[in-house]
Amino acid sequence: MIDAVWKLESAKIIAALTRLVRDVGLAEEFAQDALVAAMEQWPAEGVPDNPGAWLMSVARRRAVDHIRRERRHDRLAQDLRPHDEEPRQDDTLRLMFLSCHPVLPPPARVALTLKLLGGLSTAEIARAFLTGEQVVARRIADAKRTLADNRVGFDLPEASEAAGRLASVLEVIYLIFNEGYAAASGDDLMRPGLTLEALRLGGMLADLAPQSEVLGLLALMEIQTSRSDARTGPSGEPIPLHEQNRGRWDQLRIRRGFTAMLRARELGGPPGPYLVQAAIAVCHAQARTAGETDWAQIAALYEILVRLTPTPVVRLNQAVALGMAHGPQAGLDLADGLTTDPALQNYHLLPGVRADLLLRLGRPDEARREFLRAALLADNAAERAFLERRAAAIPPGEDAGVLLGPAVDAFLTGRAPSTARSYGQTLHRLRLALGAHTPLATVTAAEVSRVVTTAWGDAAARTWNRHLAAIGSFATWAELPGLTGDLARRAEPPSARRPVVPPEHPGLSLRERALWSLLYESSAPISRVLALNVDDLDLDDRRARNGVSWRSRTARLLPELVGDRTRGPLFLSDRRPAPARRPADDDLCPHTGRRRLSYERAEYLFKQATGHTLRDLR
Amino acid sequence: MRYLLMSLADENTPAPDEKLFAEMGAYIQEMSAKGILLATGGLEPGGVRMTSAGSEITVTDGPFTEAKEAVVGFALVEVRSEEEMLELARRFRRIVGDGVSEIRRVL
Repeated sequence: MIDAVWKLESAKIIAALTRLVRDVGLAEEFAQDALVAAMEQWPAEGVPDNPGAWLMSVARRRAVDHIRRERRHDRLAQDLRPHDEEPRQDDTLRLMFLSCHPVLPPPARVALTLKLLGGLSTAEIARAFLTGEQVVARRIADAKRTLADNRVGFDLPEASEAAGRLASVLEVIYLIFNEGYAAASGDDLMRPGLTLEALRLGGMLADLAPQSEVLGLLALMEIQTSRSDARTGPSGEPIPLHEQNRGRWDQLRIRRGFTAMLRARELGGPPGPYLVQAAIAVCHAQARTAGETDWAQIAALYEILVRLTPTPVVRLNQAVALGMAHGPQAGLDLADGLTTDPALQNYHLLPGVRADLLLRLGRPDEARREFLRAALLADNAAERAFLERRAAAIPPGEDAGVLLGPAVDAFLTGRAPSTARSYGQTLHRLRLALGAHTPLATVTAAEVSRVVTTAWGDAAARTWNRHLAAIGSFATWAELPGLTGDLARRAEPPSARRPVVPPEHPGLSLRERALWSLLYESSAPISRVLALNVDDLDLDDRRARNGVSWRSRTARLLPELVGDRTRGPLFLSDRRPAPARRPADDDLCPHTGRRRLSYERAEYLFKQATGHTLRDLR
Repeated sequence: MRYLLMSLADENTPAPDEKLFAEMGAYIQEMSAKGILLATGGLEPGGVRMTSAGSEITVTDGPFTEAKEAVVGFALVEVRSEEEMLELARRFRRIVGDGVSEIRRVL
């Protein structure tokens, strides 16, 4: 009961508190305090008439007390102006922008959004994403610290960055949705429950910021959700769209999707990618039978979508639509062009789509091999079984002689383990890309060249040559000497990449100069350098207890950086942590009360100053 | 999970006033925007009853006086948990005042 109230109200409460205290971590703590108070009082005194308002007033009281205390201690706390204390309609929207801030890595944005706006517990988020609770807890704590360290405010984004920031929010919602949608079945309802969370977040956003792309995303999610009952069979196997029982599509969801689409259309303006995807979903939803699907319209929409988001996966979907609208050859032509895209190398749907098109073109042997190859690449068991069944449904052709898969196995058998491992890496890729069931005699030099170029075209010369040698050796063994004919060895450069020299100018703080110089001179892992404590250092010997050592430039800077400190973290953050977010003792400086400099912050500062990542220093 | 919430009324149930309309309107709007409320509506008290027995189908017009209480409104909601449904129903009952709701999970 309390949990249900909390999930319904947490977004509003945390948003209002964040306005008050200007720190999302603190805001959440006060909200949690109110929740604890509710758990103590409600069972004894009964549930208040308006539980949401009760939670809000208790939490606000804690926050106001905190602010008074801070003011007394710190006369500089002038951030708070009276009119700031009143909750505003758009607080929840601000909180969404905050928790989806681009300064955070996407998994952190997702976790923080579910926690703050969905009211989910850390344990629930962990279950939904099949990770450990500690991982999620750390992710959320890091995210809050990053927001504080970067002084991300509670303001709505300015006009110049509004579109990008909104895109980030939409991306987070769609990530959550897809995570749930991909897990449509299973014993644990927490994962499919993510689609519901995403729909609610989308609805919340559409209410606060009714813009075309927001409504487009909402429509897309509603219509996709409408098919969730119809898209898996009794034993969890996927049912493709054209075979689904359309009577099981949820007309309520479809209607909600259409409504969102209409609202978006009323707004006008050029359509964005979500709106176009929603329009495609609408085409499917409007067809009473698969045969009535307006594929010409869908193909036209995909052309627009490819222009907006030219990703290989979108192009693959376009190939499907083209295959339906203008015949299988048109689709196959487009799909074939994608086989050289490294991003799709391990994507099972590329061979899956090609197989379908090949089958329709009356090329069953190739179709069968592509289905088997797709099955090998699929990581979902139900999907794998489905693809294997499709392959098995095609009768095998005439005996084609030795097949690629068995040939590779025979070639590797009996070799020294290290050789087998090295050759295996190359040849397994070849087998995965061309299909284990491909007759060896039909493999062409052009195909081998395509696979090698797609997989390792960007690799260093040494790697490239190693793979080439492996294939050469296999070709000789198989008596197919022409197989590497289209590929040439590359000259190997004498030395590897050179590290970036850290900048040195007076505008930089001592801490930055010392950190960068130490990373550059020691080549030590970044986390190990940030973990250094003052008492680990042997300044005379230019080395630390954990094995990090340095040279003259760092040696000049370190004494000044250490100053009078005798212990605690060597590299410190700029500010003291809020009392409620006190880190472990080991990460706190006993002299200054400041916390250890975080990896994210250090990375951010270096990026700001040089455009490089810290790793480039090593 | 989905639930169908039905509100019942008898001849003693007071007619809704303007305040109730306003509060209910706001509640319905909030819940629809959140995606929780999927469909809702009021039901006419009378209606038609159809009975099939063997090959015979009989149609009778309402009102059906033998029932003390009749369903006068429904709401179809999509919720995270039974708890959440109970909380929503509680809010609904606070707005409408005395009376009864029957709630069934949609399977």
